[in-house]
Amino acid sequence: MTVRSRPISPHLQIYRWTITMAMSIAHRATGIALYAGTVLLVIWLGAAASSQQALNVVNDIYASWFGQLVLFAYTWALFHHMLGGIRHFIWDFTIGMLPGQREMLAWANLIGSIVLTVLVWTVFVWTA
Amino acid sequence: MTANRTPDAVVANPKTKYGNAKASTRHFITQRVTGAINIVFIGFLAYLVIRLGGQDRPDMVATIGNGWIGLPLAVLLVIVAIHMRNGMRDTLEDYFHGATYRLLMGLNTVFCILIAVAGVAAILKLVFWG
Repeated sequence: MTVRSRPISPHLQIYRWTITMAMSIAHRATGIALYAGTVLLVIWLGAAASSQQALNVVNDIYASWFGQLVLFAYTWALFHHMLGGIRHFIWDFTIGMLPGQREMLAWANLIGSIVLTVLVWTVFVWTA
Repeated sequence: MTANRTPDAVVANPKTKYGNAKASTRHFITQRVTGAINIVFIGFLAYLVIRLGGQDRPDMVATIGNGWIGLPLAVLLVIVAIHMRNGMRDTLEDYFHGATYRLLMGLNTVFCILIAVAGVAAILKLVFWG
C-alpha cells in the first residue's frame, strides 16, 4: 500500500470565520505559546537551583510590567488550552457535536478561559 | 509546494492512505493521556507559582525541595515535554513534508529533551542538594 503525503492545510482566507474555527486556531496558537513559555518555568526552576543572585534576576524580570504581562497572557493560554483539551475529550465521546452544541462549547471555551484568568489574577495577584 | 504535490494517480487510487496509521493512533492516544495528566500539572504549577512567585531561594528549597512535591513535579514536567513534542508534531505535519518536516521534527525533539532535562535537573538539585 502506497503511503502518500498528508494533505497540507488550505489557506485560511477562503473560509467564512466561525467560532469553532477561531477556537481551533486559538487552541493551536496557545499550544505553541505554551510550548515556548515552558522555557520561563525551566529558567525559574534553574535559577532557584543555582543561586540567590540568579533567582533575584529572574524574579526582577518576571515582576516587571512586561514580565507580568507575559505571565498574564501565559495564564490565559494555559486555561484556554486546558479547556480546549477538555472540549476535545467531550467530542471524543461524540457528545456536543451537533450544530449549536459545538458553537456553545467553543464560546464556553473562550469565556471560561477569560473568567478563570481574571479570577486567578484577582484573587492571587491584584488583591493578594 | 508544487514539488510536494501528490500525483493525481496516487490521490485517485483508493488503496493509498495518509501517513502511518499505527503511529498516528499512538500519537492520538498519547496526546490525550498526557493532556489529561497535564490538568494535574496545572494544579501543581498554580500552587507553586502562587506560593513561591517572587520568593527567595530558601522558600523554594523548602517547598520544591520536599520530595513529595519535587519528585511528582519532575515526572509531570517530563509528561509535559512529551505532550509538547507530540503537539508540535501535529502542527508540523499540517504544514511540512519530507526533509523539511524531518529537520523541524528533529529540532522539536531536541528542544523538548532540553526542557525536560534542564527542568528535571533543577528540581532534583533542589530536592537532593538543596
